[in-house]
Amino acid sequence: MSPRDSLLARVRQAAERGRQYRVHLQPVPAEIGYLGAGGDLCQRFAAEVNAVGGQVFVVADLEAARQRLQLLLQESGAKSALCWNHDLLDRIGLTELLTSAEVLTVNQSQLAVLSMEEQRTCVLSCDVGITSCDRAIAETGTLLMCSRPGQERVASLLPPVHIAVVESRQIVPDLIDGIRWLNDQGLEQLPSNVTLITGPSKTGDIELQLTTGVHGPGKWWVIVVR
Amino acid sequence: MTDYVRETHHEFLAASKEALADPRLQQILGQLGDTLGRRNREAWAALPNSDLIRERARAIKDQTLAELDQHLETLEKNVIARGGHVHWADDGAEACRIIVDLIRQRQKPARSVSGGPIATVVKSKSMTSEEIHLNHALEVAGIEAVETDLGEYIIQLAHHRPSHIVAPAIHLSADQIAEILSKPAGKRLPAERETLAQFARRALRQKFAEADVGISGANFAIAETGSIVLVTNEGNGRLTCALPRCHIAVMGIEKVIPRLDDLPYLLKVLARAATGQKLSIYTQLITGPRKPGELDGPEEFHLVILDNGRSRILGSPLRESLFCIRCGACLNACPIYRSVGGHAYGGVYAGPIGAVLTPLYDGLSANHHLPHASSLCGACQAACPVKIQIPELLIRLREQLHDEPEQKSRFEALSYGLWAWTLKRPWLYRLSTWLATRTIGRWKRSDPWISRLPGQLAGWTKRRDFPTPAANRFRDWWHKEGRNESA
Repeated sequence: MSPRDSLLARVRQAAERGRQYRVHLQPVPAEIGYLGAGGDLCQRFAAEVNAVGGQVFVVADLEAARQRLQLLLQESGAKSALCWNHDLLDRIGLTELLTSAEVLTVNQSQLAVLSMEEQRTCVLSCDVGITSCDRAIAETGTLLMCSRPGQERVASLLPPVHIAVVESRQIVPDLIDGIRWLNDQGLEQLPSNVTLITGPSKTGDIELQLTTGVHGPGKWWVIVVR
Repeated sequence: MTDYVRETHHEFLAASKEALADPRLQQILGQLGDTLGRRNREAWAALPNSDLIRERARAIKDQTLAELDQHLETLEKNVIARGGHVHWADDGAEACRIIVDLIRQRQKPARSVSGGPIATVVKSKSMTSEEIHLNHALEVAGIEAVETDLGEYIIQLAHHRPSHIVAPAIHLSADQIAEILSKPAGKRLPAERETLAQFARRALRQKFAEADVGISGANFAIAETGSIVLVTNEGNGRLTCALPRCHIAVMGIEKVIPRLDDLPYLLKVLARAATGQKLSIYTQLITGPRKPGELDGPEEFHLVILDNGRSRILGSPLRESLFCIRCGACLNACPIYRSVGGHAYGGVYAGPIGAVLTPLYDGLSANHHLPHASSLCGACQAACPVKIQIPELLIRLREQLHDEPEQKSRFEALSYGLWAWTLKRPWLYRLSTWLATRTIGRWKRSDPWISRLPGQLAGWTKRRDFPTPAANRFRDWWHKEGRNESA
């Protein structure tokens, strides 16, 4: 028997033997665990983003989002931006905005022509990452991001500042809705990486005191377009 | 050999004594209950139906374990379907060998002749890798392994073992951490949190950029999708499987859950129990290597599935210990942990759950103090996100200890035998209680505690007083007065 088979056979026997020690459980109604967001999803999402240490900007339309993004880029003093290709970012005119603000745009098309080493150096040196998301979760203030060509995982990870632009129709009430959405896309279609982001990078490893920006972005700014 | 790889077993009582006399440690342990412990209690209080949600999480674990072999096979099938590789390890040594071989196969010939490490590995925090002493195995194989969780990075530099499941460097002060980090910095760093964290960010970025392989654990693995789930707050877990070309994850067999739909319930209780957050900052679902056209993520994904004694536990009355999702809540709640800290437990896993896991994984007799390192107050069970009945498990282990050959004492067996013999004979029992009340009971009427028993019995009174018999027997009082009072 191969090591795999003998291990699995051992587990099978043990699982069977272990059934006599199964714990006594109270019945749990199906809806238990679903918390929902209640009321206005945008408002709740915004409140939760602030609560976890992010900064949220709720704006009325795409034009207002563009202006806010411009202000945020100025505030960050960014010279280069690692960007997703995304319909929403196109609609607010991200490329033109970056060009006029004299911020170097780095996205898939620029990176694709570089060697692995050059790509690495390039993404590591970007000052800000600009993304949208796949779904946002109101109850927790979370962004659900799927990796795809053109929507790289490093954009929300490597730069010290992460700016995400979210549309209100992307917001769902509960984590359970977010996971159900993933399920509805088809499990075979599951992206190689799905990341739930709930706040700026944090650690409590020094004397239990919160310190931000240890590995991921220390600044997490979210623009919500109503 | 450093403390990082444990060669000898700690003497729990001696180590506790030392810990109790360390004012710095006492101060930080005192804060633990007011920070993580308080956040956990508040999180349960703020969560509607928290008890039922935890019950649901517990049910997921219980049901999964009942058919664990099938879920593992499904997991394997789906990891492979998504382009990943699965390896099975009976024990820690086997898992280490698999991982070292995987890294060696990737080794570039040019690097091996230079005399430096043959490869650089970045590691995301993983208790399972601590359990199998992976860092030591990598070091011996000439592979540089860098822990990237800030706390783990600090204790790796200091050659300490983790003293808390989620806050491994909790035993160190900012001053001590500054001293430890000053060494790789090559200059004196101030004891300021921001500065220290920024230094670690820069130093570790460099390592991430160079590393060929990333190693992580797995908080969960989803059978139906072949995904592993990694939960971190710092983002090092994301870097570990975004930059290196190869990602190796190591997990115990008990980490699998059947469905993607099971995940949100476990995530909800995990973050609340660990740190009082609604969700940890970063939760990743990793499914196979990068897909065509993606510019980041590993090109190779390997999953090492580890038994290391777990299948033995699965078929035993201590099965419930496999529910543990490694949140650390029981440590923060435990009056013993909060008095003596993690190192006193002498194993990789500390606190109440460590007092269960260490004897199970590492040998009961070698860790015979641990099942007794609890007042059985139940605070651990109340804090647990999957409601593990830790006090029950500790009592089970105490029972099992009596059957360990090394723990058998002829004197103890004789004493209990004599006691049982007496109890079985009512006339003898009556005589002995009569004698006890007439003698010690009456002599010690003013001070009803004995602080030192004679001979071998002194072991009992070493750490507690023994109550003297009453001056009168209950049955005598009952015959004289009690009967009338009740009427």
